[in-house]
Amino acid sequence: MEQILSPEDARLVDGLRVGDEAAFAAVMREYGAGMLRVAQMYVSSRAVAEEVVQEAWLGVLKGIGRFEGRSSLKTWLFRIVANTAKTRGIREARSLPFSALGEGSPDEPAVDPDRFLGEGERFPGHWSAPPQSWAPEGKLLAQETLTVIEREIERLPPVQAAVITMRDVQGFSSEEVCNALDLSETNQRVLLHRARSRVRRALEEYLT
Amino acid sequence: MRLARELACRDIVELVTAYLEDGLSAADRERFEEHLVFCDGCDRYLEQMRLTITATNHVPVEDFPPELEQSLLEAFRGWRS
Amino acid sequence: MIAYKFLDAGRVGPFTGFSWPLGEWVEASGADPCRSGIHACRVRDLPVWLGDELWEVDLDGHVVEQERKLVAPRGRLTRRLEEWNGDLAAAFGRFCAKRARERVGFLPILSGYVGDVDRFVSEGRIPIAGFAAARAAELRDGPAAYERERGLQAAWLAERLGLERPESL
Repeated sequence: MEQILSPEDARLVDGLRVGDEAAFAAVMREYGAGMLRVAQMYVSSRAVAEEVVQEAWLGVLKGIGRFEGRSSLKTWLFRIVANTAKTRGIREARSLPFSALGEGSPDEPAVDPDRFLGEGERFPGHWSAPPQSWAPEGKLLAQETLTVIEREIERLPPVQAAVITMRDVQGFSSEEVCNALDLSETNQRVLLHRARSRVRRALEEYLT
Repeated sequence: MRLARELACRDIVELVTAYLEDGLSAADRERFEEHLVFCDGCDRYLEQMRLTITATNHVPVEDFPPELEQSLLEAFRGWRS
Repeated sequence: MIAYKFLDAGRVGPFTGFSWPLGEWVEASGADPCRSGIHACRVRDLPVWLGDELWEVDLDGHVVEQERKLVAPRGRLTRRLEEWNGDLAAAFGRFCAKRARERVGFLPILSGYVGDVDRFVSEGRIPIAGFAAARAAELRDGPAAYERERGLQAAWLAERLGLERPESL
């Protein structure tokens, strides 16, 4: 059976098995925030998400002895959290409308349609109000600007928030995110597209 | 009436993510880039999207709530013993 | 194979930001030649890709022909076509404006295009002037007219740059 566990992850798994607290701390640092994001994809409140992570962690401890490393540690951790969260969501008997599942509504245009010319015009579909150049890069990376981005991410549907956080904030690859969140490549790209489009719009409002 | 090949700006903004992810077919990528040559608006939009991604890269990774970490640590210690 | 390539000022790739060396071979990275190859164009594609600098390129290896460009695994810049400069670009713009006036200016429903092309030229926005002129032709006479107009634009450029006339489309 092919081992796809990285050497770093293998060390962490060994450490967890023998109760090494340094391994615990490393796992929390590396994957803790992501685990919470995954839980938030399936339950409505932050408080419930934290409970889900606690419950999932017990499952992790129960299963760490049997973990064979056929998936990455992250995928395995996130799957346990996701399954725990889904069960919790069902137990709470909450039936979520499509938009609340965190994907966003099916036809979410990246840019307000008003920004483009209509069908009767000479250049239909071209910009009526084209984008302007943004402030020099200094302002872009200032703390205030980063806060605008953080706030917009918090307003995103949970699955979009998870994808953009993992891809663009944490720097995970598209393949890692697909594995961890159990998404197809196409689905992941659509979610990333919607999330980035909304963040761009928020930045445009703030910067211009 | 539109050319079969032509992409309008409204289409470009929906393709930007796929373009940056190198996910467009060769033909679509060609049409996308063709449009950018003459359209300043879309050129600026693509630049804005690149800057958006760069800025998002700089957002600090959120902390794991300390109380939550503490409670997981206690469970870990309890399990170990 | 000889082909042509527009670059941003300073020998910079317009889409990749890649800094092109002079005379050295550049290899495309990656396994997919259609995506990651060296891009260049034929004479007939020139009007579509207008940029700051025009270079002659030497392409090596299996060259793939796409609708508006060529893709090759290796290429190198051989010489800069100095005749392509701001003045020639402006003259090209005026050519496009004149064509728009001649072709569609007498059709009231399309006459707005003349104003558009003139405005783009006066703003120095030459690539969109070329596009608008071709589009106006298309609206008058259909998609084949768009291609014919682009062909005329290519022929105009070829003559002034001392290049072989593109094959008729």
